[in-house]
Amino acid sequence: MIIQLNGIMETVPDGLTISGLIEWAKEGDPDLMVEKNRTYIYPADYDTCPVNENDVIEFINPNLGG
Amino acid sequence: MTGMSDARYLRQTILSGIGPKGQARLANACVLIAGAGGLGSAAALYLAGAGLGHIKIVDHDRVEISNLNRQILHTEMSLGQPKVVSAAGRLNRFNSSVQVTAFCEKITSNRIGALLKGVDIIVDGCDSYETRQVLNRASLKHGLPYVYAGVNGFDAMISCFIPGQTPCFECIFSGNAPPTDQPTGVIGAAPGLAGSIQAMETVKLLLDIGTPLKNRLMRISGLDMRCHCMDLTTNPACPACGRP
Repeated sequence: MIIQLNGIMETVPDGLTISGLIEWAKEGDPDLMVEKNRTYIYPADYDTCPVNENDVIEFINPNLGG
Repeated sequence: MTGMSDARYLRQTILSGIGPKGQARLANACVLIAGAGGLGSAAALYLAGAGLGHIKIVDHDRVEISNLNRQILHTEMSLGQPKVVSAAGRLNRFNSSVQVTAFCEKITSNRIGALLKGVDIIVDGCDSYETRQVLNRASLKHGLPYVYAGVNGFDAMISCFIPGQTPCFECIFSGNAPPTDQPTGVIGAAPGLAGSIQAMETVKLLLDIGTPLKNRLMRISGLDMRCHCMDLTTNPACPACGRP
């Protein structure tokens, strides 16, 4: 299926959850934040939150500088 | 208001959301600016310009040359000074009607309660997760709005965390990454933008006008000049508030 990931159209395996997508994308930031269709997804929901066709997903590194 | 302050604030008191009554509310307000760095510089200057009655500013660092690409409260003349001394001087010269109280100390869980005495809103000008955690817990404990911002590189994030109305800082930010002593790269305009938005949000919250960044996280990507808001929902598993 095709999704938009970090602003780029990507073909990803069907049936992924957010956890699976993080693994597929090889994201390693322990503070990673995930936005799906403009809504924040909590880490506790990564294993159950499905990735669907045409989803717009952003992997975000938190900004903590001042 | 006096004739001089009438003239000084004319361009904002003619706004329907402010007016003379709103200006009087600003003059009676007190904010804590936690950090006199990049974010705190922009926020403090615009809040002083807006005529906030009392600004408390806290920072334990001294001004270094590498601060001056972004920390516009300070100048080459203030190198080596405590940042809060430099900040208080600059703010007093900018608007002498604003009471500025400087605290040259670290923000700790032991001291935050005393620092917040009389404060209406916490403005985040920090650069560490740990200090933000202290501010967040204090915000929850004292029921005070916490206007968060953070920057990295060309990017910025801003949100208003309001106890009882929104998720809190720790609902959203996990702080899993170990602290590092390595400096973070940042272009000065990024905290300038974010700190200015913090000042705007603080004025809106004090006057109860407009639509503050509640339940939303604003993200600014400076390199592609994209800006959008992400909706924030409740986190019942939050270690700090455990509620929306």
